[in-house]
Amino acid sequence: MTIAKTLAIRGATLVGVLFAVLVMVVVTLGATGFSDRMLTAIVNEEVRGLRQGLAQTIRDADELEAALRDHRQELEASYGLDRAWYLRLPQMIGRVIRLDLGEARTLKTADGSSSITALLRERLPRTMMLVTTASFITAGFGLFFGVKLATRVGSRLDRVASLFAATSNALPAWWAGILLILLTYVILSTFGVRVFPPGGMYSAPPPEGGIPRLLDLMWHAALPVITLVLISVGSWTYVVRTMVMNTAQEDFVTVARAKGLPEGTVMRSHILRVAAPPILTGLILGLASSVGGAILTETVFNWPGMGRLYYDAILSVDESVVVALTFMFTLIYVSARFTLEVLYIVVDPRVRYS
Amino acid sequence: MTERLRTTLGELLTSTTGKVGVAFLSVMVLISIYALTANPVDFGDRLWNNPAAWADNPKNVPPAWTGLFHGSRRVNHSVLEAIAPAETRLSTRFVERVYALDVDFPYDEAPTFTSFSLEEAVYQQRPPSVTVSVTRPDGRTVNLYRLVAPAPRENEPSPYRRYESTPFRVHLTGEPSVAGEVSAFLQDDFGMSDQSGSLVGRVDDAVFGVPDAASETGFRPLQGAYRILVTARFQDENDYIGRVRFVVGGSQFGLMGTDSLGRDLARGLVFGFPVALTIGLITAIMATGIGTTMGIISGYTGGKTDIGIQRFSDVLSNIPLLPILLFLAFILGQKLWIVIVILILFGWPGMTIVIRSMVLQVRSGQLVEASTALGASRWRIMLRHIFPQMAPFVFAQMIFFTPAAILAEAGLSFLGLGDPSIPTWGQILDQGFRTGAVYVGYWWWVFPPGLLIVVTALTFVLIALGMERVVDPRLRTVRQ
Amino acid sequence: MSLLEVTDLTLHYATREDPVRAVDGVSFRLERGQALGVVGESGSGKTSLSLALMRLLPSNATGYGGSVMLDGQEVMALSDDEFRRQVRWRKLSMVFQGAQNSLNPVLRVGHQVAEPLMLENGARKAQARERVLSLFDLVRLPREVADRYPHELSGGMKQRVMIAMSLVLDPALVVLDEPTSALDVSIQAQMMNLLKDLKRDLGISFIFITHDIALASDLCDRIAVVYAGQMVEIGSADDALTQPSHPYTQLLLGSIPRLAADEPPQFIPGAPPDLTGPPSGCRFHPRCPYVFEPCDRDDPPLAAAREGHEARCWLLATEK
Repeated sequence: MTIAKTLAIRGATLVGVLFAVLVMVVVTLGATGFSDRMLTAIVNEEVRGLRQGLAQTIRDADELEAALRDHRQELEASYGLDRAWYLRLPQMIGRVIRLDLGEARTLKTADGSSSITALLRERLPRTMMLVTTASFITAGFGLFFGVKLATRVGSRLDRVASLFAATSNALPAWWAGILLILLTYVILSTFGVRVFPPGGMYSAPPPEGGIPRLLDLMWHAALPVITLVLISVGSWTYVVRTMVMNTAQEDFVTVARAKGLPEGTVMRSHILRVAAPPILTGLILGLASSVGGAILTETVFNWPGMGRLYYDAILSVDESVVVALTFMFTLIYVSARFTLEVLYIVVDPRVRYS
Repeated sequence: MTERLRTTLGELLTSTTGKVGVAFLSVMVLISIYALTANPVDFGDRLWNNPAAWADNPKNVPPAWTGLFHGSRRVNHSVLEAIAPAETRLSTRFVERVYALDVDFPYDEAPTFTSFSLEEAVYQQRPPSVTVSVTRPDGRTVNLYRLVAPAPRENEPSPYRRYESTPFRVHLTGEPSVAGEVSAFLQDDFGMSDQSGSLVGRVDDAVFGVPDAASETGFRPLQGAYRILVTARFQDENDYIGRVRFVVGGSQFGLMGTDSLGRDLARGLVFGFPVALTIGLITAIMATGIGTTMGIISGYTGGKTDIGIQRFSDVLSNIPLLPILLFLAFILGQKLWIVIVILILFGWPGMTIVIRSMVLQVRSGQLVEASTALGASRWRIMLRHIFPQMAPFVFAQMIFFTPAAILAEAGLSFLGLGDPSIPTWGQILDQGFRTGAVYVGYWWWVFPPGLLIVVTALTFVLIALGMERVVDPRLRTVRQ
Repeated sequence: MSLLEVTDLTLHYATREDPVRAVDGVSFRLERGQALGVVGESGSGKTSLSLALMRLLPSNATGYGGSVMLDGQEVMALSDDEFRRQVRWRKLSMVFQGAQNSLNPVLRVGHQVAEPLMLENGARKAQARERVLSLFDLVRLPREVADRYPHELSGGMKQRVMIAMSLVLDPALVVLDEPTSALDVSIQAQMMNLLKDLKRDLGISFIFITHDIALASDLCDRIAVVYAGQMVEIGSADDALTQPSHPYTQLLLGSIPRLAADEPPQFIPGAPPDLTGPPSGCRFHPRCPYVFEPCDRDDPPLAAAREGHEARCWLLATEK
């Protein structure tokens, strides 16, 4: 099998995932009548706009109403509201892909726009910033300690680490976040020091100037990042440890030692190099849960990213935003997955040619 | 197969992690049984989410045992009740029944609130009057409240019954008339100026204390024995009242404290046990059951069925769960069974993929080949020869899957999409978070539910770890 | 001076019970340019012997001791780091059992062969590559194989790569641990021819570890038979094959099926002993047809059967 074919299969599966989610979302919306509600809201919005425009030219009230009624019918036809929901599935899917879902009901961006695309464009980088920072820290930490532990499997340290891994795996992101907030509260009330702010992205008002602003941002990001690291670093370290341990028992590692290679080289170019693909698999498998972790962590720390937006959309019963976010989160997940799959093929020649 | 399972369980009980896990699980099951027998099935609707059920509890107070670590003595919550009068006075014009409620008050602060309730009042002609007063350790008496039962309506037949289904209840602390009475008491007994206006909401400071300018509240708690007297005056001998209740609101409560509605958190937490176990186990059993069946069919049948099932599971198992779960729970409504169905729906494919690869190994094995040669039917082979070889692994996976379901439900509840009719730990935490309990340090509200979720999840992880050695023989050589 | 002189080499493994005595006081010598076959059943400790020589000790190794004089140098006195720098692959290299898993799956085989060269010899990439290609010529591998990954090679090719790898630093002695047992018979023959050529042309010494005494006699000048962690017989290949002195060797030879013989192959009764608690006295006595009085009591000494041929048996020891 060639690289292209391998990649194509993985890609097809992931596109399948995206498509499956889209269909599920749209069918659920249609069957429950939510899509009618959403589209009617869009039509109402447009008719309202039209009324103001037409009121300038058409003075007669009855004539105005008649004109508006015609327009409304046209609009309803173009949005497919005159047909059954299952007939406009393809159209609805296209709408979700283009994020053409009208306006958010109450949610607004910082500069007052309530367009859903504007909302997402504002929130996406904030989520990405949080998640990528946390991932890098987790990966670095996990690799370092995982390798350390693999060299002393069965030791007391190893057993403590296993327990920590299990705990961290069972630790819900939001509870970890809440505990951190409680902890900062306790420190604040006993020592009068605010170590980290309990939420938000900037102080109010935000400090002036680039560097102070950046520092303020980092100060606010600290707790969410710690939370994200805390919930994933345990299992990640454990995966690295187990993979390194298993690989270290392979024959070719003995051969590498027999060749007189120093331990560092054996670890780097033989053990880690071979353990990399399964470790990457661990990362791939953990990806879905880190997407969920981001939603919960942002909610706890009031971090104005997409996750918090999701929570706010649920609270304000805004189904258009919920739909857009469901799609976006799946899209992000699928893209990240694909990136990892490509990386996997780069590090593992067996996949390339087998 | 039973033998395989028995060895699995045997091995489980020899490992420390397994032992701890099984011990924890047994405790949880016992608590669940208690919770289900001690509470009505509609606990959520009837009690937990009914503010009236918790009206007489203090709000946002820590557990009672925290008093042990607290410098000054905090008020224990006490509910005083009487159904029989302590004394009956007869006169020509009326009958007076006096109910006495005694309470010892050794605390360094005033009660957080006081309330009075009256259940059932029956009269023949004229409505009875009820007065509430307190006799303090210093011998002074404070009148607090006077109540006359509602008069007969037109055409209503005698005897007249009042406060039968809904008891009469007055929150004395916030009642203006009580403030007026207490102000009069302060004027008479301590020569203070009229301050009835400012006393609303803090009458308890005065009733259970003596004026002290140095104190923050203006009063210093007066320790000693208090007696609350409820005097009911009836016109007819056959008139009576049922039950009187006086609540001295504590600044600490019960085993786990209360939330902002005064709910006894201990009861909610206990009820959370059966709910969490049910969610976890049903989801795990169903998901692994479907997953195993599909995996065996896929692996053993092969061909188009195999490709179909594999593609389908591949797609389904790659969907990020939480966003979809949120979406579906949001659109389809917050019902626990819907959540469970969704979790099963997205849970089985992962299992199918693993089981299929195991079946492929087993299928070419001698046992299966021999059975095929002997003409055993496909279903028989799948059920009798393939499944038993998977059984320990399936069992371990089932255990492993349980915490995932519990955590998913908890996350959903935390985001406000829990089933309101069934309280869960996630919902308790969510309410604590949403009402800002986290930011003001109400740890007893947010720490225990989270801890229980983690401990429950960990219990299953420990059991699964204990079984790992059975399932993965390689690990057996690693132990020291 | 012999190339290798091993005296009383031991290697035990710790377990929960008594230690496994995998190598228990083994002594032998090997002359330059010669090949010694080490023959034994699985579990007799022959692979442990090779690990002990290479000092590739598992984490539960205990009781590692004895004397190993390699090229006149006592290598047992070296520290681990000195041993790694001075002995491994430079003086003593190894071809491992099961080439299937002996190559790193994610590195190109040429790189894996060149690795020891680039390490401290400071060889440049081009030089190293030149050396690898000439070695590939030597072991009769196509040159382009150097740029392939292990999973693209057949079993025989992998084993040739392993042999090339073992020669990269021009060692005086190569330990071959069952180098052919995972291969098809035809490939096995090619491999044996290659080894014979290498021995003849390069004058390399081999320690050839195998369970196949006939195969060993094809390549080796001398043959040592190991049983339960001990060397029970050592002598010239012809002698060992035609006039075995130890009952175990005799039975071992009798168990080989012969096409031309009238007799069916004989099985050795019983099973190899558990090395955690080997039998008292002669370790073979529970399975020996000639067992007599001293056998279950005292360990027999290595006694000379003929010139240059010794066996560890009371039959010989008491004759004297």
